[in-house]
Amino acid sequence: MTKWPKPYPPAFLIALLAILPVGVLVSLASDSAQLFDTHNLRVLGNTLALVVLTIIGSVIMGVPLAVFTAYVQGPFKKLWLILLAAPLALPSYIGAFAMYFSFGRGGEIETLTGIPTPPVSGLWGTALIMSLYTYPFVMMTTRASLLSQDASLVNASRLLGLSLWRSLWRVVLPRATNSIAAGALLAALYALSDFGTPAIMGLDTFTRVIFVEYNAFGLSQAAMLSLQLMVIVGLVLFLESRVSGAKERPGRHLTLWPSHWQYFAMLLSALPIVLMAIVLPMAVFTLWLVREGTGGFELSYAWNSAYASFLAAIVAVICAIPVAHAAIAGKAGRLMERITYFGFGVPGIVMGTALVYLGLQLPFLYQTLGLLVVAYVLRFIPLAVGSVRTTAENLDSGMVKAARVLGASPREAFMRITLPLSLRGMVAGAALVFLEAMRELPATLMLGPTGFETLATYMWRVYEAGYFGRAAVPGLLLVVLSGLGLILMLSGESRAEFTLSEDERR
Amino acid sequence: MQRRTFLRGVGAAGLLGTLPLASQLSFAATGPVSVNQLPKLEGDLTLYLGRGEGGLYEKVLDAIKARNPKLNLKIRRGGTAALANTIVAEAKAGVRRADLFWAVDSGSVGMVTDQGLAQPLPSDITSLLKPGFQYPRWSPVTGRIRTLPYNTQRVQPSQIPDSIMALADSDLAIGWAPAYASFQSFVTAMRIMEGEKATKDWLRGVDRNAKKYAGELGVVMGVERGEVDLGFANHYYTLRLKAGKPDANVDLAFTNNDAGCLVNASGIMALREGDLPVNFIRYLLTEEVQSYLASEAYEIPLVDKVAMPPGLPPLESVNPPELDLRKLADLRPTLNMMRDIGVL
Repeated sequence: MTKWPKPYPPAFLIALLAILPVGVLVSLASDSAQLFDTHNLRVLGNTLALVVLTIIGSVIMGVPLAVFTAYVQGPFKKLWLILLAAPLALPSYIGAFAMYFSFGRGGEIETLTGIPTPPVSGLWGTALIMSLYTYPFVMMTTRASLLSQDASLVNASRLLGLSLWRSLWRVVLPRATNSIAAGALLAALYALSDFGTPAIMGLDTFTRVIFVEYNAFGLSQAAMLSLQLMVIVGLVLFLESRVSGAKERPGRHLTLWPSHWQYFAMLLSALPIVLMAIVLPMAVFTLWLVREGTGGFELSYAWNSAYASFLAAIVAVICAIPVAHAAIAGKAGRLMERITYFGFGVPGIVMGTALVYLGLQLPFLYQTLGLLVVAYVLRFIPLAVGSVRTTAENLDSGMVKAARVLGASPREAFMRITLPLSLRGMVAGAALVFLEAMRELPATLMLGPTGFETLATYMWRVYEAGYFGRAAVPGLLLVVLSGLGLILMLSGESRAEFTLSEDERR
Repeated sequence: MQRRTFLRGVGAAGLLGTLPLASQLSFAATGPVSVNQLPKLEGDLTLYLGRGEGGLYEKVLDAIKARNPKLNLKIRRGGTAALANTIVAEAKAGVRRADLFWAVDSGSVGMVTDQGLAQPLPSDITSLLKPGFQYPRWSPVTGRIRTLPYNTQRVQPSQIPDSIMALADSDLAIGWAPAYASFQSFVTAMRIMEGEKATKDWLRGVDRNAKKYAGELGVVMGVERGEVDLGFANHYYTLRLKAGKPDANVDLAFTNNDAGCLVNASGIMALREGDLPVNFIRYLLTEEVQSYLASEAYEIPLVDKVAMPPGLPPLESVNPPELDLRKLADLRPTLNMMRDIGVL
């Protein structure tokens, strides 16, 4: 019998913990008699319609912007790229919140300018907002693929008489199809699991209905709906794992040098997106801040957010270390790592439902900060595992061997060589977890201890009560934090396809 | 029952026997107590507050906290029905977290007291309340009544039917807030009193001429601006608007003996034995808190001998329905119905 590698036992435990929520949901849902009814069918229809519209919307916005950011050369190229990628970092409920109170009769836009605007709500409103905040997925994956394409094929097609547009359409885009699909599936995944946006827009998707059931404490019905949602999520994840980027022959990518007015026109056509997704929320929150001040806001909300997220970040990284090392150590370890990835696909509302039930069975955990941190860790540990693994993999194994030859015990070699060298990845991973946890809404709403108000939950209360002016401070803080997250994401090594650099990474 | 006398100084005798666990005790009301006569609150107390952010209740709680620095008050906020469900689920699982539950409608109160989770209140507390509002296991705090705010420029009172059901057939432009909890309680009441089919037809009928608002303050403001002719809202929104803008183009109309003029009460109960939760309840029933809620929030004080909110029109003619408010806890069929019709 071969000995298990050192990191296996803890990694195994963590993997086991990661599938715990699903186990809880299955046992909870088995009490429920209602498998499916007509209302359920409508929810399914709404959810699928939202997913399809989001995919369409994000592709329509994402692909042209990918071509623009990849090939078109002009002044302030990097700035535009950052601005256009920025919606990725913002939680979409911020956008939904701002638009809900800006558009429509009596909205801020009408109040300020007197111009009546149609309300943004329902299926179309939700799809619009989802598309505005998920197109960067498509843009970034497509852009990476475009950058990897050798321009000589385009040059050949131009020489053979195709116009630039037709060669983009017939030669370039077909080779990027897989990357477009990968980005679109990420957008779909986001649309499936987001709670705040459909809830604010009044669209009955799975996440919103699960919350309604949870509020009525129909926990088993909520669990049943959660499992149905998980099936769809699983399907999307499966599709995503089958989509792989085609190998391209290396070569210089295309560069386009438009004239000034052309460049200006391109920027102008991208402007509405930036205006809607970033400028509008910031403007609305700033307006409210000026008009209503900081009333009602307490610093403790920000502190609570930061405190819980900090704990989650530390715990996530500590748990990620054995998982990452197990993944490097062998096949079984890779499986364990895959299992922990599962949590990322579990929507927050589903995680919340599972853990509320678990808490009721284990009263010492119920309504404690500990349980909330567990929820954060289970959901966001893949971010930490990813960063830790990348740095650990890049580690030259010769150094550990050298240390061992020089007489260090495996433990000492780990403490003195491996750990310090992978510290950067750990910090990056912790930061990613921290920022995600700061913005998390549904699980925090369900699991937070009594009196434990965070930035995100306070926004939700404000929305429910209609005192929207009070969202100014938490809204702006969340935007700023998301900006920090974006910088981290673009500079970090954890998501190679989201890179600012010109070299191909895939 | 003398329903007609109900709002005459909120005698509310009409509700005797219709509210859950109606007390048959009839103490002589002794009149409000001042906070100065109350013991200081000390220790840990967890309150489940069925109300969102920013209400005037918040100011009351802040004032109580400021007066009692040794009180460590933790507040869990949420929808009233959601919190009632939470308390019941927690009790079933053998977990108790809440010491007090302050609900904004009596339906949720009924849900918790039916499970036997509320502690009995001493008789000196119940005797503070108006006759008809004295219950052994929970204390009403304030009352509210469903009304039809209408735009005085666009509609004459004579054009407004005195039956809520007739409004579905009228051509008046109507403002409503279907997502608002009080409105949903009102639809639940209609469902119980008039039946499923009539309620569905009513919702469809009103939906033809309706404009949706996020909350009922929005409805009243919409009515005042003339966006619609009339709306559905709790009484205090109109009174608050008129207090800030005395020449506002809005006034209150009442329907007759149907869900349209339903009376509902917010209430508080102790979920843990001991003096601290009970003493906390005493604070809410003081002259100061009751007058504050009456004069600032325009809610109807339910402690005897506290002045009514200013600006409430003569209510002798108002004739609220007899309804076991405990049934209003049955919200789920209402929500399903509203979703099926597409108004929610």
